[in-house]
Amino acid sequence: MESTPKKELSPIDVYKLLPKTNCKECGEENCMAFATKLVNREATLQQCPPILQEKYREAFAKLWEMLKPPVKEIVIGSGERVAKIGGKLVMYRHEFTYFNPTAIAIDVTDEMLEDELLKRVRDVENFTYPYIGQNLKLDAIAIRSTSNDPERFKQTVKKVIENTKLPVILCSFNPNVIESGLVVAAKNKPLIYAATKDNWKEMAELALMYDSPLAVFAPNDLKLLRSLAKTLLEFGVKDLALDPGTVPNEGLGGTISSFTMLRRSACREEDEVLGFPLIGVPLVVWSNSKDMPEISSWREACLASMLISRYADLLIMHSFEGWVLLPTVILRQNLYTDPRKPVAVQPGLKMFGAVDENAPLLFTSNFALTYYTVASDIESGGVTCHLLVVDTEGLSVESSVAGRKLTADKVAEAIKTTKVEEKVKHRNLIIPGRAARLSGEIEEATGWKVLVGPLDSSGIPKLIQDLKAQPPKA
Amino acid sequence: MVEEEEKDESRTLRFSPKLLELLAKFQEIELEDVDLEVDELELLIQPGAGVVAPAKAVAPTKAKPTKIIELDFKPPIMEYPGKIVEVKIGATKSEGGTRGKTVTIGGEKFPAYYLFEGMMPHLPVLSLDVFDTKIPLAKPAKMHVEDVLEDPAAWAKRSVEKFGAEVVNLHLVSIDPMVKNTSPKDAAKTVENVLQAVDVPLAIGGCGDAHKDLEVFEKVAEVAQGERLLFNSVTLDMNIKRTAEAIKKYGHVVIAFTAMDLNKARELDRRLYEILPKEQIVIDTTTAALGYGLDYAFTVMERTRLAALMGDPELQHPMSSGTTNAWAAREAWLKMDPQWGPRELRGPIWETVTALTLLLAGVDYFMMMHPAAVKTVRDTVAELMNTSKADASKIADWITMKI
Amino acid sequence: MFEDIPVGVGVIYEGERIRKPDMYIEFGGPDIEKKFELTKVKGLDNVRDGEITIVGPDLKDLKLGGSYPFGIYIEVAGKQLEPELEGVIERRIHAYSNYIEGFMHLNQRYDIWIRLGKKSYERGVDSLQVIGKVLQRLFKSELPIIEKIQITFITDPKKVEEMWVEAKKTYDARDAKARGLKDEEVDSFYGCTLCQSFAPTHVCVITPQRYANCGAISWFDGRAAARVDPKGPVFKIERGELLDQSKGEFSGINQAVREKSLGEVTRVHLYTAFGLPHTSCGCFEGTAFYIPEVEGLGVVHRDFKGATVNGLPFSTMADSTAGGRQVDGFHGISIEYMRSPKFLQADGGWSRIVWMPAVLKERVKDFIPKEVVDKISTENDVKTVEELKSFLETKGHPVVQRWEAAPAEAPPTEEKEEAPATPLAAVASMPIASGGFKIILKKARISAKKMVIRTVKKKE
Repeated sequence: MESTPKKELSPIDVYKLLPKTNCKECGEENCMAFATKLVNREATLQQCPPILQEKYREAFAKLWEMLKPPVKEIVIGSGERVAKIGGKLVMYRHEFTYFNPTAIAIDVTDEMLEDELLKRVRDVENFTYPYIGQNLKLDAIAIRSTSNDPERFKQTVKKVIENTKLPVILCSFNPNVIESGLVVAAKNKPLIYAATKDNWKEMAELALMYDSPLAVFAPNDLKLLRSLAKTLLEFGVKDLALDPGTVPNEGLGGTISSFTMLRRSACREEDEVLGFPLIGVPLVVWSNSKDMPEISSWREACLASMLISRYADLLIMHSFEGWVLLPTVILRQNLYTDPRKPVAVQPGLKMFGAVDENAPLLFTSNFALTYYTVASDIESGGVTCHLLVVDTEGLSVESSVAGRKLTADKVAEAIKTTKVEEKVKHRNLIIPGRAARLSGEIEEATGWKVLVGPLDSSGIPKLIQDLKAQPPKA
Repeated sequence: MVEEEEKDESRTLRFSPKLLELLAKFQEIELEDVDLEVDELELLIQPGAGVVAPAKAVAPTKAKPTKIIELDFKPPIMEYPGKIVEVKIGATKSEGGTRGKTVTIGGEKFPAYYLFEGMMPHLPVLSLDVFDTKIPLAKPAKMHVEDVLEDPAAWAKRSVEKFGAEVVNLHLVSIDPMVKNTSPKDAAKTVENVLQAVDVPLAIGGCGDAHKDLEVFEKVAEVAQGERLLFNSVTLDMNIKRTAEAIKKYGHVVIAFTAMDLNKARELDRRLYEILPKEQIVIDTTTAALGYGLDYAFTVMERTRLAALMGDPELQHPMSSGTTNAWAAREAWLKMDPQWGPRELRGPIWETVTALTLLLAGVDYFMMMHPAAVKTVRDTVAELMNTSKADASKIADWITMKI
Repeated sequence: MFEDIPVGVGVIYEGERIRKPDMYIEFGGPDIEKKFELTKVKGLDNVRDGEITIVGPDLKDLKLGGSYPFGIYIEVAGKQLEPELEGVIERRIHAYSNYIEGFMHLNQRYDIWIRLGKKSYERGVDSLQVIGKVLQRLFKSELPIIEKIQITFITDPKKVEEMWVEAKKTYDARDAKARGLKDEEVDSFYGCTLCQSFAPTHVCVITPQRYANCGAISWFDGRAAARVDPKGPVFKIERGELLDQSKGEFSGINQAVREKSLGEVTRVHLYTAFGLPHTSCGCFEGTAFYIPEVEGLGVVHRDFKGATVNGLPFSTMADSTAGGRQVDGFHGISIEYMRSPKFLQADGGWSRIVWMPAVLKERVKDFIPKEVVDKISTENDVKTVEELKSFLETKGHPVVQRWEAAPAEAPPTEEKEEAPATPLAAVASMPIASGGFKIILKKARISAKKMVIRTVKKKE
């Protein structure tokens, strides 16, 4: 069950339609290299100036069709910080990879006091969590008009965009309210939320006038959603985002089903009318006003996670609790990791506990899963030691030994670059049990004495304990 | 050329200083009773440059719709050649056991919660982990069972009565030669104690030592004959033949565990099929914590389920998950900066999100730790399975909701 | 299984090195001329199971610290065994020997180098009987198709020399046979799913003339593995009918890949990089890649660092073919396959190869036909496709003939009336066509009953 053959595209198919001038203006050595990058989605057609010329119009169009994702990419915002949503090539991440991690927007209202408003905006912009060498951030501000007062809304929008570079979503079903917001925010290319069966025409005109992407809202009615999308497209609006309705509680099953159906329709059935990013609104859990805020926050975290797993390209949330947002941004990061590339951590020397020059030295691979498992076993075992993370190009110990990426020379190199010999007095190296085959070679290459450790890192604490009781001869 | 009328009274047009910009977007605008006062007005008229062409580059231009174009929506329902087998855990008196109730998992004919393709045949089973000896637990998890940490029977009882465990996972970690090296006989005694303490089916976990686990499994299987225990687990490192034979002889079921490798999962199943019928095998492809490999776990499980439905004969089993592994994430138990909230909430939500993500990949059997996580998953499943037509009106006005 | 053995036996001892000062004795190695290890498959009646014979002095009788000529002769029998499997079994002497604590074994055949550590000797490994026992048990438990096994250790220098001659003959005959075996001659191939990969729908088809992509498994290895472990990752593929000799299409293979990939891949051509190439997982040793400017194929291996002649490094091109996909013009291969007479034969074999890394060329040089070997460029000859073109022309590489034959590239298409939808996202960057005129009004007041502004389409 694979949804599209886009991944089977050969660079040759693409190459045939390129100008073949090898002019290098795209930054690649030649057209074949550019074709390969295009297929891998590491480059875009726009990078090729020759093909943008009139005479290549047909080729361009063919390439566009060939390369375009079944779920269109929509850009919200402008300038330094934009939110790119959609652009999905496949339904399941294992078919290729996902692009454009789900954008997370936090709400503000136009009835908030200025201090409160600005503080919230600032907090959203400054939110960050360092994780595997990346900084996980939030992506947009959703400005809800609870007042339904165009002037009020306009002022709020103005204040928000003056105080943040983040893209904004203008939320109101009232076209007048939206318009007043657009007047001040047009340059920022906000997402207009949203067109419905009652206001679609006005919203469409605003979208066209201000060249802004437009959300479409038709809760629990996919027929209406599709009809509206078609209508808007015929009207001339090109950039849409679809909200099939996030209905909590007894509506959860239907919500999850809708998202699934929409994504499958775009990817597998190649329904172009539905080939647009999906909007989830975990914020709806707050409608259960009787619940305590903690409960609502908890429910929001759960709902957000399920929507991220099931194809939401944009989420509008309310809770700003760290314990709600942390699992959300990490889950998002995890699912949007390219499954074709093994996740690697930075190689280098890590220290656990209060290490001194006598602390034991172990090494492991830089495959993220391996590293975290080993680190976790060391930490939970309360072990004090140095851990040398060797660059195995993200492969596990077993794989990298078999694939000859983990070699004695690599270990020797790691010892040299991290200067561990200056940090540790002894010369005993504990190697993973699954690298036993290399024990002799490692001794020769490094000059250190090798002790073969357990096959599984869970045995490390016991090994270190035993060694303390009976230290190896230096 | 089709003319289009834009009446002034609709007030959908405004003139802004950037007149040109606006006008450039439209194909045609017609205004009545216009008064323009300008300092300088530059009208740039270009031959149709194709810069902003209408949707179809064909003349004449089409009319803009004036009402909603009615389209149908056909749910993209698929037929799947494969089906997941059903595995029953536990046995009642009439079936040869002593359980008050049994649970059945699997039987899916379509992917997890693709409710537009049918009803999930069984609810997923939520089981709680119980250990036969004191082990280090994260504080938020420990606080609920602190007083029964060294009494597996009491712990099991609490899991069922207070936390709603549908099955109890009794992990016999003390049998590990490096822990207490408990004998198979004594381990079997513990199993009997727990069987007597609770009414629900039981799953038996080993310690990870291939030889010891086998010895203990064989003894426990014999002693608990008829109870249809779920043995956790058999792996490629073990003596598969002996393990499978014990399972078969005494009428139990087993989890076939591999480390995130579909090909190894298939291989293990192939070997088990020589002795065991498919209905006695559950697959576990390993669960990694949110942030520490959850994406691998999720993708392997999703692939397993999809391949099974597409007809792969070696993967058509319900799946289990050691969701308790979520606690290995430092974010679940570490004391962090106040910005990240208290551990008491962070830990349980960590386990919950791990569980919910895997629920959507198709997991049928969850091995969990924290009561709040268990409750949330249970409630979520109930919500998912609720077939009554949801009332969308309460969210229709979400924009104006005052929070 | 090894309770009676005085030292440890297990995988963790695999990489042990014994240094000269620590050794009790050395067999073979660089200082000794004659040494060998040989395995022969015999009839069930001709093998005395469990027997261990020592021809010449045993360990106790040899001098501490000395180096000696040595031979290991293993005879095995079993219903499922055939002489073709001798090499596979023989290679395991190395692995199993290393499982013994304090016993080191390097290399194979007539290059073996063995050392026993002093400590192990003192702990009781004082006779080759001990080594023999461990080896026998390991062989039988790991390879149950071995029903009887008999081991002879030869330490008598004269006898070693005698048997060495026989051993050499056996090795040569094996090699000749292996290389001579054609794909069409065998009735089954082997599929392997060992790769730890993100491509569980991929299966490598291993034939006598097409090694596994990882470079680690030959057809013989596959055969042995499937025999030993029919439920394991390596399985037999009935060859079925030969559908296309040049491209290498077999109905049995098509069937197997169709099943394995759940219908994704339905046909495979073994000897080509175009059309329906054999799929790859992620651990292939090298990639063949199409260079359209010269109608030729380049080859690059995993260890090659940096950009190849087309500007792309191995890793980028590997991404194009990895994951169990059939991608026209990008093809994962093993280095041993490059030594095969069937190497990319449907595409023209070596006469289609235009570029490869120098170090790789050296490795397989003996298998490149004389007439093209100097016409294939390396990174030392050319750095870009332009340079490559000149190089090939100058050298008269056979691929040049294809340049005349290939039809001229279709000219860029003229704009047509029914051109498909104008590219949309490119709007912002599209150049504005020239032409048209301006009207400038200054300090104007315009009153109009009706004002119509419309864009006018360019007349075609």
